[in-house]
Amino acid sequence: MNTKPDDELLALWVEDELSGDSLSAVDAWASKQTEWLERREQARSWKSLIDGVLPESEDVPHAESFNARIRREIEADPESAPNVVPMRGTPRWAWFMPAAAAAGMVFGFVMGRGGPEGAVKEVTMPVAALAPVLYTPTKGVNAEYVAADDATVILLAGVDAIPDSWEIPETAVLEKEGPRTVSRDAR
Amino acid sequence: MARKVNSSEPSASKRASEVEDEEADEVLVARAQTGDTSAYDVLVTRHRGRIFAMIRQMIKNEADAWDLAQDSFIKAWKALPRFEAKARFTTWLYRIAHNTVYDWVRRKRPESGGELNDEIFGEDRIDPASVTTPKIDRAPDEALAGGELRDKIEAALGQLSPQHREVVVLKDVQGLAYKEIAEVMECSIGTVMSRLHYARQKLQTLLKDEYEAR
Repeated sequence: MNTKPDDELLALWVEDELSGDSLSAVDAWASKQTEWLERREQARSWKSLIDGVLPESEDVPHAESFNARIRREIEADPESAPNVVPMRGTPRWAWFMPAAAAAGMVFGFVMGRGGPEGAVKEVTMPVAALAPVLYTPTKGVNAEYVAADDATVILLAGVDAIPDSWEIPETAVLEKEGPRTVSRDAR
Repeated sequence: MARKVNSSEPSASKRASEVEDEEADEVLVARAQTGDTSAYDVLVTRHRGRIFAMIRQMIKNEADAWDLAQDSFIKAWKALPRFEAKARFTTWLYRIAHNTVYDWVRRKRPESGGELNDEIFGEDRIDPASVTTPKIDRAPDEALAGGELRDKIEAALGQLSPQHREVVVLKDVQGLAYKEIAEVMECSIGTVMSRLHYARQKLQTLLKDEYEAR
């Protein structure tokens, strides 16, 4: 090969990622190109130094929390959800859908009239469904939820002390005899 | 017959296993594109380690890297309808992570006009506004075995310009091909090759003692 190979071929040659005819062709051209021979040597020695020293993948700290936040974000915003690919064409049974909807409405109306007047069934929610989900991302931290008449408190045991240098931008303050106010930098 | 040791063999076997992964990725991506969040969760679990490592090596701040890796996956979810199977899913993810880091720099320092500079990347402090501030403890054995060399290499990488550092991370740590790096960094293969050459040249000077000790 007398002409300079293209950038992609040269790059692969520098990285020792060529084989077969391509390798022979670039070797023939590069044999008198000291600059390119130096580049390849430089790449080889650098790769032998770095090989396996820096990990291509690292354990993500608090992996469960990592995934949980992503899940929460994408589920909280339905607008962000990828579009479901719409069906092409109209299915043969499409005529049945309006008829089924109408039949459902009539059935619902009849059933609604069937019960005793004024009697409303009470639906009891299980207590577990009303209790909040406690979220403790750090190992060894215990959370306790206390719901009183006038306050909701979450007790966290095992959390590291908050350093003095930490600035709290806004703090909610409940005054003894007055309305709840928000003060800036109340510390 | 003596068998010639080819330096490209490990990467070839690595690529073979990646191809298997990619097949599974394609299936999961197709499911996620229909709104299947559990399929996407599997993709996040599979690729979070690489994306986190890439960003951490770029910005040198673990807490911010944690947040930015999450943001990358959230942005990827939103962009999934536009993903086409022409590119590898991982390459596409790296590109989103790259853009996420640049966007973060623009927000953090509007006056920089999106230009990456060492002042921004060198800040080894925890941003009080970050969503989370995880703490990472290094395993004691890691510090003993190879930890010293790793520290030296990371320190040398820290002295490179951000573009040079990124190209080294993508090529020599993450194992991307030149073409893929060009896609991620939105530049030509020639530019990738040139950046990589100058980056390695500088690293060779900075790590002269390590080279001579070998």
